[in-house]
Amino acid sequence: MHNAWLVFQREYLERIRSKAFIIMTLLMPVFMASTILIPAFLSDMKPGVTRRIVLVANNADIADAIKQQLLSQQTKSDTPSQSKSVPASKSASPRYSIEIDTNTTDAERDKLRRDVSDSKIDGFLWLSDSNLANRKVVYSAKDVTDFGESIELRNAVQSALVKRQLGQKGMSDAEIETVLKPIDFDSVRIEKGKEGASGIAVFLVSFTMVMLLYVNVLVYGFAVMRSIIEEKNSRILEVLLSSVTAKQLLAGKIIGVGAVGLTQIFIWLAIAGAFSLPGLMSSRSMLSNVHIPMVGVLAFGIFFILGYFLYSTMYAALGSMVNSDQEAQQVQWPAMLPIIFAIVLSTPVLQHPNSQLAFWTSMVPFFAPILMFVRIMAETPPMWQIILCIALMLLTTWGLLGLSSRIYRVGILMYGKRPTLPELRKWLRYAG
Amino acid sequence: MPDTVELRAIHKTYDHFVAVDHLSLNIREGSVYGLLGPNGAGKTTTIRMMIGINMPDEGEVWLFGEKFHRQQLQRIGYLPEERGLYKRMKVLDHLVFLGRLHGLSGAEARKRSLNWCERLQISDWVQKKVEELSKGMQQKIQFVAALLHDPDLLILDEPFSGLDPANAVMLKDVMVELKKSGKTILFSTHRMDQVERLCDSICLIDHGRSVLEGDLKKIKASYGKNTVQMQYEGDPPFDHNELIQSVNNYGNYVELRLKPGADAQQLLRTACEHARISRFELVEPSLEEIFLDVVGQNA
Repeated sequence: MHNAWLVFQREYLERIRSKAFIIMTLLMPVFMASTILIPAFLSDMKPGVTRRIVLVANNADIADAIKQQLLSQQTKSDTPSQSKSVPASKSASPRYSIEIDTNTTDAERDKLRRDVSDSKIDGFLWLSDSNLANRKVVYSAKDVTDFGESIELRNAVQSALVKRQLGQKGMSDAEIETVLKPIDFDSVRIEKGKEGASGIAVFLVSFTMVMLLYVNVLVYGFAVMRSIIEEKNSRILEVLLSSVTAKQLLAGKIIGVGAVGLTQIFIWLAIAGAFSLPGLMSSRSMLSNVHIPMVGVLAFGIFFILGYFLYSTMYAALGSMVNSDQEAQQVQWPAMLPIIFAIVLSTPVLQHPNSQLAFWTSMVPFFAPILMFVRIMAETPPMWQIILCIALMLLTTWGLLGLSSRIYRVGILMYGKRPTLPELRKWLRYAG
Repeated sequence: MPDTVELRAIHKTYDHFVAVDHLSLNIREGSVYGLLGPNGAGKTTTIRMMIGINMPDEGEVWLFGEKFHRQQLQRIGYLPEERGLYKRMKVLDHLVFLGRLHGLSGAEARKRSLNWCERLQISDWVQKKVEELSKGMQQKIQFVAALLHDPDLLILDEPFSGLDPANAVMLKDVMVELKKSGKTILFSTHRMDQVERLCDSICLIDHGRSVLEGDLKKIKASYGKNTVQMQYEGDPPFDHNELIQSVNNYGNYVELRLKPGADAQQLLRTACEHARISRFELVEPSLEEIFLDVVGQNA
């Protein structure tokens, strides 16, 4: 035990002190922040630009209704996000400047197309009577990839037409407003007779955590593999094996690399917390919907650690069979396959967390880190299932550690070609 | 007093290849023991089985009078033939790490590392990273690592390979000193001159079998004084001489192995007729000759 501890200590300290670790740990938050902040910053810039749009319709009333709808929709959509941080001037400047054109001839259409090309206008909506009869509206513009804009336009056209038709049936404006008022729909998870997180939050949180789990297990599993290859190539192992057993060495190494991973995650969480805490204090509204249940955090921790151990033990065995990083790339599929399979299964399991499929697949130790976690997030399964699952994972990891250290013991002293499967069986015998 | 190392018919096969074939040997406490043999003879496998890196298929390893168990490793220092260190670690950190693995406290490992580094003239390098050091210097570091915990048994696999003469002498001096303080040293090498000067006993391994084992002086004596060293000027006829079994001629110096029962005086008379002899001596064969002789017979 003492030896494994020393190996762990060395592995951990050397890695934490390495430049690669420090740079990676500091750069990642910068990278994450910029992926979040830059698009937000850019879209904040956008409202300043006014889009010049021409509404082409035979019926000027319809065009006017759509115009009013579009302008009112815009002020409305600005209101909820109008927190202290957003400057008031933003909603004052209209995003659309709208002209109405009642000439629906093909010649006019060609002219508008040219205007778009010459950037005189940004786009035009074609609402000729025949188009309206077919309920087909075309928006022509230079760039139509801003889906937000397309949806906004579509909604405006849709509600303007509905309002108009309801008005023709004799409904008052107030009645129309009431009829069209959207329903706020939310599904809420019930736990121990109390209502907990909402469905969409569960899904989002599960998905994010599954991805975190997947990425980290792979990244650090691969780090274990590389570290073994490095040791193999530096020929240090024979010295170490004269005082440490292969099992101690392997266990120390896996725990060491894993601890480095956890340290990194904690640093990131701390940075993220430090930056988002002031925001959380001022506006609790947005995140209160997506609150992560405590049991989820706990489950994440447990399954992250167990999953990491299971997979990195497998990676260690693979690492002892090869001599270079290139070879490592080629042999790492046996370790990646189950985890990818588990991710594919996670959607059906999340949808039916109590099905036979969910039960049996989540009991497979290689799938459990993802599937059992997802089940716990969706609908906490009976305690005995969780305990059985964790026990199975621990047993498998222990067995795999024994097997891996045998492969390791023979493999690390062999500097030749990669073994075939029958050769691998012999290795396991040699190590006896 | 029990022998420091006792191998009882250890045997190891890889697939169909017999790496070590029922090998037995005994190493006396306080002796310097040479493990010799051509490449691929099974020296390294034997050493690895001695310290539990590999397990023998058959036979037993006894160390310090007890059957092998892992606590004994705290009393053994090992310098493997495959030299290797963590390249990015600082030399001192590395030595402390290896010392602690052998049961020293951090402070003690540090103190001893610094002492040894000073002794081997590498003090200036202890704060450098291993990768900045030359091969020979890395080898000295590993030698220090094997000595840190003051082992009773020191196992050195090809300790002199890759060292320049000055460093080889430094290493040899340390070995002699350790022997004087009662430590047992086992080393494997191809260099017969060092074995002859350093070793008390040897084991010659070929094809995994021990072909010659025992006290070096006795082995040499058993071959008798059948070798002639001669310094000469002229051209004595050594070819096709009925007295001579083999010749190793250097031009004006020659080593001759006599045939069993041949008379050295007769050889001297024949030589006198053809050359001026400045030295004529009857000696025991060198270890190199014995090595070539034994390995040659087994080939």
